[in-house]
Amino acid sequence: MTGSWVPVALSSDLPSGTVLPARIPAGPLALWRSQSGRVAASADRCPHRGMSLSHGFVRGETLSCIYHGWSYGQAGNCLRIPAHPGLTPPEAIRTVTHPVAEADGVVWVAVGEPAATPPGLAGLVPLRSITAFVDIAAIEAAAGAKATAEGLLDAGDIRLLLSSTREGETLIHVLIAADAGPAERIAAARTAEALRRRAEDIQKKGAAQ
Amino acid sequence: MTVGPMFDEWYPVGIFGQLDAAGRKTMLMGEPIVVARDDNGDAKVTDGTGRSLPVCVRYGHVWTSLGDPKKKLFAIPEADQPGRRFVDVGVVRVRCSPLRAVENFLDIAHFPFVHTDILGAEPHTEVQAYKVEIREDVDEVWATQVEFYQPQAAKSASGGITTQYMYRVAGPTSTVLYKTCPPRPSEWDVITLFVQPLAEDLCDVWPWMALFDDDTPMTDLIHFQQTIFLQDRSILENQVPRLLPLDPGMEMPTRADLTSVAYRRWLKRHNFTYGAQLVAQ
Repeated sequence: MTGSWVPVALSSDLPSGTVLPARIPAGPLALWRSQSGRVAASADRCPHRGMSLSHGFVRGETLSCIYHGWSYGQAGNCLRIPAHPGLTPPEAIRTVTHPVAEADGVVWVAVGEPAATPPGLAGLVPLRSITAFVDIAAIEAAAGAKATAEGLLDAGDIRLLLSSTREGETLIHVLIAADAGPAERIAAARTAEALRRRAEDIQKKGAAQ
Repeated sequence: MTVGPMFDEWYPVGIFGQLDAAGRKTMLMGEPIVVARDDNGDAKVTDGTGRSLPVCVRYGHVWTSLGDPKKKLFAIPEADQPGRRFVDVGVVRVRCSPLRAVENFLDIAHFPFVHTDILGAEPHTEVQAYKVEIREDVDEVWATQVEFYQPQAAKSASGGITTQYMYRVAGPTSTVLYKTCPPRPSEWDVITLFVQPLAEDLCDVWPWMALFDDDTPMTDLIHFQQTIFLQDRSILENQVPRLLPLDPGMEMPTRADLTSVAYRRWLKRHNFTYGAQLVAQ
């Protein structure tokens, strides 16, 4: 196994027919879900003029660039160039894509060649995501617990799934029991927010030294 | 970095009619400059060391150069034609290469997607073949016989028309377009994009227009052009890389992009590379 699954977003944040920006260590992604519900991850750059594809739009089963409307399929191949409606786009026009898996309400992107399926969440489900401007080490220090290789961190009062998006930035998915009621959900969100603040203070102090 | 041959070209640095004695502090290619009026009311531009720079006032704007311009500022004969209204649109700062701002201005294929229901609309997305040349006598890039269907081509247009265009690159960051003039079919409206390079990845854009339109209030003409350009800015600030790639492998043009292909070739030929990325990174 020479890769990993990166939890880039929550399923609930990516409704059908939408695209959003995500990030893996290799760079920015356009993460999108087709009208029929299929999720795909493409490099966030249209090969035509370099426009960010996460600013684009989804129609049917294709992702289109907002600049000139070039549209791409799940596999990254260009399907249509509106300036030349009669033209079949050459095979060479394509975006880099990454395998995607969706499980337990989390969208995972494969980096390298990871295991066949993403890690399980042991009966937990995601509540919400928070971006923290810290490295994972600062979150571990704030929580007093270590994350697993898959990014799972159990701090006793709160359980998190962590994804390093770039140096000094971590995406935190807050996990809760599937049957948690409203009070538990609100408490988990507050605990996670407090943890984020502590982690950012730790990171700032570290940077100041 | 060294600026190269673009050092000796003319650049817009302010609207002449809006200058006062106190002056406007700005930047040109990384150098701080001050643009002001002197005691005679003439425009004066000085660099950070107090050195006076070359000055020329034309097309509503003050132009200067950090170097030694080999040529006079390019001509726009329509600027002296009676009956036209001249519109100083103002300034829009854009976090992009000055060359990307020019290239976007030369492009029509984005109209239906970026200027939706104004300069273009689906399903009218096709770009018909047009002519592009580098005119050796004047050393300018020209695109002619450009046509596009537009729902509202100008503030003065009341419905959809097929608009004719000509595009002209008159300097590395100065471009002029000529388009169908709805109230006067025998004439061309003139719309320019004068770009002030603040840095390689930051520019101030000064659109200027010379129109036959006696009816539309000045404010509306300015708002129309600003609306269009702010739509362009949302693209320009999200292109990767920020610099204009001159490496042919980095971006993929089609037939609709022949003006941009000629512009890039012309930039390379002159070593106009301030704001360009030469090698894929």
